[in-house]
Amino acid sequence: MLQKREKVLLLRTFQGRTLRIVREHYLRPSVPCHSPLCPQPAACRNDGKLLSSDVTHYMIPDWKVVQDYLEILEFPELKGIIFMQTACQTVQHQRGRRQYNKLRNLLKDARHDCILFANEFQQYCYLPRERGESMEKWQTRSIYNAAVWYYHHCQDRMPIVMVTEDEEAIQQYGSETEGVFVISFKGILNVNKHRAQIEAFVRLQGASCKDSGLVSDILIHGMKARNRSIHGDVVVVELLPKNEWKGRTAALCENDSDDKASGDPPSEPMPTGRVVGILQKNWRDYVVTFPSKEEVQSQGKNAQKILVTPWDYRIPKIRISTQQAEALQDFRVVVRIDSWESTSVYPNGHFVRVLGRIGDLEGEIATILVENSISVVPFSEAQMCEMPVNTPGNPWKVSPEEERERKDLRETHLVFSIDPKGCEDVDDTLSVRTLANGSLELGVHIADVTHFVPPSSYIDTEARTRATTYYLADRRYDMLPSILSADLCSLLGGVDRYAVSVIWELDRTSYEIKNVWFGRTIIRSAYKLFYEAAQELLDGNVTVVEDIPELKNLDTKSRQAKLEELVWALGKLTDIARHIRAKRDRCGALELEGVEVRVQLDEKKNIHDLIPKQPLEVHETVAECMILANHWVARKIWESFPHQALLRQHPPPHQEFFSELRECAKAKGFFIDTRSNKTLADSLDNANDPNDPIVNRLLRSMATQAMSNALYFSTGSCAEEEFHHYGLALDKYTHFTSPIRRYSDIVVHRLLMAAISKDKKMEIKDNLLSNKDLEELCRHINNRNRAAQHSQKQSTELFQCMYFKDKDPENEERCISDGVIYSIRTNGVLVFIPRFGIKGAAYLRNKDGLVISCGSDSRSEWKPGSLQRFQNKITSTTTGGESVTFHLFDHVTVRISVQASRCHSDTIRLEIISNKPYMIPDTELFQQSSLLLKSDLVKEVTRSVEEAQLAQEVKVNIIQEDYQKYCQTKGRSLYTLLEEIRDLALLDVSNSYVM
Amino acid sequence: MAGLELLSDQGYRVDGRRAGELRKIQARMGVFAQADGSAYIEQGNTKALAVVYGPHEIRGSRARALPDRALVNCQYSSATFSTGERKRRPHGDRKSCEMGLHLRQTFEAAILTQLHPRSQIDIYVQVLQADGGTYAACVNAATLAVLDAGIPMRDFVCACSAGFVDNTALADLSHVEEAAGGPQLALALLPASGQIALLEMDARLHEDHLEQVLEAAARAARDVHTVLDRVVRQHVREASILLGD
Repeated sequence: MLQKREKVLLLRTFQGRTLRIVREHYLRPSVPCHSPLCPQPAACRNDGKLLSSDVTHYMIPDWKVVQDYLEILEFPELKGIIFMQTACQTVQHQRGRRQYNKLRNLLKDARHDCILFANEFQQYCYLPRERGESMEKWQTRSIYNAAVWYYHHCQDRMPIVMVTEDEEAIQQYGSETEGVFVISFKGILNVNKHRAQIEAFVRLQGASCKDSGLVSDILIHGMKARNRSIHGDVVVVELLPKNEWKGRTAALCENDSDDKASGDPPSEPMPTGRVVGILQKNWRDYVVTFPSKEEVQSQGKNAQKILVTPWDYRIPKIRISTQQAEALQDFRVVVRIDSWESTSVYPNGHFVRVLGRIGDLEGEIATILVENSISVVPFSEAQMCEMPVNTPGNPWKVSPEEERERKDLRETHLVFSIDPKGCEDVDDTLSVRTLANGSLELGVHIADVTHFVPPSSYIDTEARTRATTYYLADRRYDMLPSILSADLCSLLGGVDRYAVSVIWELDRTSYEIKNVWFGRTIIRSAYKLFYEAAQELLDGNVTVVEDIPELKNLDTKSRQAKLEELVWALGKLTDIARHIRAKRDRCGALELEGVEVRVQLDEKKNIHDLIPKQPLEVHETVAECMILANHWVARKIWESFPHQALLRQHPPPHQEFFSELRECAKAKGFFIDTRSNKTLADSLDNANDPNDPIVNRLLRSMATQAMSNALYFSTGSCAEEEFHHYGLALDKYTHFTSPIRRYSDIVVHRLLMAAISKDKKMEIKDNLLSNKDLEELCRHINNRNRAAQHSQKQSTELFQCMYFKDKDPENEERCISDGVIYSIRTNGVLVFIPRFGIKGAAYLRNKDGLVISCGSDSRSEWKPGSLQRFQNKITSTTTGGESVTFHLFDHVTVRISVQASRCHSDTIRLEIISNKPYMIPDTELFQQSSLLLKSDLVKEVTRSVEEAQLAQEVKVNIIQEDYQKYCQTKGRSLYTLLEEIRDLALLDVSNSYVM
Repeated sequence: MAGLELLSDQGYRVDGRRAGELRKIQARMGVFAQADGSAYIEQGNTKALAVVYGPHEIRGSRARALPDRALVNCQYSSATFSTGERKRRPHGDRKSCEMGLHLRQTFEAAILTQLHPRSQIDIYVQVLQADGGTYAACVNAATLAVLDAGIPMRDFVCACSAGFVDNTALADLSHVEEAAGGPQLALALLPASGQIALLEMDARLHEDHLEQVLEAAARAARDVHTVLDRVVRQHVREASILLGD
């Protein structure tokens, strides 16, 4: 008979009081199960709809899945769906009547093979909600429990699949009961860049399917299996039976080569599947190139529809209907995909706008921006109106109200900044002094951007969209308008600025942190130093004083006093930083080959130099202070807002990714212990070849590649043990010190301010983001950061290519260089060229099947033969019996050339011309840092572009002179106008021109 | 919570019962020794306590005495903690007066009052927890208490409420179902004869449906009778064991 249970609900009334409501809940031993497999149909009273008996499994969607993907579940193709009552009730409560009625109709409809199982009224399925258990957890638990009961009810004859999005649930229940599978069916399609035609991978989102035990990616082989999905789409994948699984190919191959029948035996088979549905499309604007004239003709006369080739290899060709294919031939064009018919091989799209000519610097840069979805329109008027004014006539001043509220450090502290030369956006300053009680006081003062950027203002919205300042090889796109980034928020020397400070009190000798203070301050930076000068001062070289404008104009005596003060502060700071660093090193902080590039600007705001961190100690000092500030702020905001703080995590890497690193190191006789960050750091330090410093650098960069990226996240969406920052060996970390160029820092500033007002028991002024919103924002910022990195990398490559493009690879000395082999593939090797910082592939077997061979003079030639690949070497044997072997870390001589590509970006090609290291006649050149050359390279390319522009201007000048000479009408004549239009080729004017 | 679904497509009510099913009833008789009769009843989460004194001489004004039958005096009260919101309910408010009146009418019809002329029978009912169907619980508790007091009755008086949702009559409404605002009917039945002691309904209901709702309520009342009958027999058995017969 019925069993009575009680449910206790706590409701909040409109007056804000809590109401305790006790509801009865009756359970019964049997509710209709609607299954043809039911062993006691009489007890279950299965009237009405039954599940069909020909299905292979029953599917039970989790409440979240029912809520969010009801449209998918409505497909008549999906059979054997059991909706749990728990799930239906959440739909009713959270999605409203409309959605619920849809679900009801679905259940009523006899054509749909789905039923409702009233699990909450079933004696054995009902689980009371436990104390402190969240509603979501309870729902998932109930549904799982009911699924298990149902499975046993059908006498274990029908496997049951519970579909959920909750990764924890998969973890927890995935392998609990035999025959009940818990899966998630989402993954993001990731098309392999190098073998776009045949291979694609789907990374599962937290999937664990216990019968196959698959944790790796799923291979999607061929365009057909990809089923019209495009790179970046969220797709549903069906696994193929094991005998159809394929392996991935390890051979190097070129994108445009069509022969896929490479004879290499594929590596071991991996899970292979095919796409059965696209959950979310990720279509964006694509940059494409129209086919050249010859190709158009080959496409047939009635070429109203034209196949254009996207710049990104991973995107299939797009069909466009246009009349102007010929006119648009030489341009990079933006198109959008509209649809993809199931009967078609290619998607349909339409033309949007022209970016620029192929090969033109501006056009190519615009291409990179569009491809990374970076939009950098100038700031709008509405946005600029929100900005404070600072003109010589109307200078910006510290307002008296702010003066009252903020701690004034202008008179008491010696504040200074250390930045690269010519840096405009100074967002961090430092101070150190001795307190009256003998302790030391260290301060990090960060520009108070949030004071000028109120939440949800126009400028805030724009900054959030940009999320970061984008640095390309030759330019940058700011996140905030220059009035803030270069003026009011920049902590320049000698002016009053608002700041947010973190001030520690340290023990005088042991440098233990005794106390910390966070708050808003007013500072006046005394010195704006640059790294080199600071280092000189530290080293006791005082001549550099001439370079410090703040000291230049003082008389000798006061200069001496001030200088001593500054040098003491710098010295103390370095000391403290060393101490903190050592402490962090003991925990296993890694020092890796970073790609952190600082941009140096000259007076005209052009990029003067791309300077990687020169190994000066003062760099480390500043970085260490910033890490310390970030760490303490992270702790503070996490303590105040444990569920909605923005932190930065760096998950520990997967051990299997390190296998390549370990192999490579073994080739050189080093042992790399990757078990923890500490052992990794130590063994990387030890893996130093005295003869070849590049080995260590390569190993470090390989270690970096093996690691996962650091990411922003919201603390509410992660377990606490996942907060750890692997690389820095800190338990909590965030970004706080660069609010001018990172939006995450702005969010952290707001959180910190809220935390301070919470401590003071004041009302929190700004509305903080909820965990869900913050998570969304983190995803956006991470995404943008990735785009920024990609665009920076792509623009660097662009410059490299443009640099080598004009050189004749046969004769030019610069095109021949020394390279180091860092990876072996079946038909070639990957080579790193330290001089230019280029990484690339060099083939040992060319397209005609000939292999490389090096004679006694070590010059290489192509001869017929075969290749044999070993663990860390590759041997090429010609039919004549000669053989040559390349080992890992061998130095070879390579010739650099550019492989021009019309539709895509140009690529660097490497060709091994000798198996001996390249000896540069001019040893001086060799000594030069490779990266200095990189900046030279950017300069040279920019210059040549400028020259080309200049030439054009000259042409215009000549025309103007002509005007004067022949007294033609001022302004542009129709002729030049038409000529220009023809150049732009936006309109098909050629006919009218003839007329 | 947008529009709670009182009856699902599968025929379940909010608390898991089907349309005609009663809530769980538990009852005890003779809970107080001082009173002549007493009983405690739980119908789901509705809990009521009834106490009966009498028949005894008229107390207070003698003028109230009836020459041919006993005076039935009913008083209803509900505890401050009986509802979700704690609220003081003073004696003599409109609701308890009305309830007292209904109870009196019910029991005047059931008790053989002519056997005790010029005397008085007091029935005090207190609701300890209200979760729908308070009238029914009060009547059922009072019936048991009157039986416990040994006052002769024509029959049990069994009461039950019924509502009407989606063309279906629901028996024994809970608070949630009552609060939803549909028609609600209270019925007190003398089950053996099928006579109606009291029938009360405030809301509007189409004439065509009345039959159906009435039928559901009557059936529920008979079910209640089965339970109460069992309780009485159990009580008598226990009492006779104690007396040592």
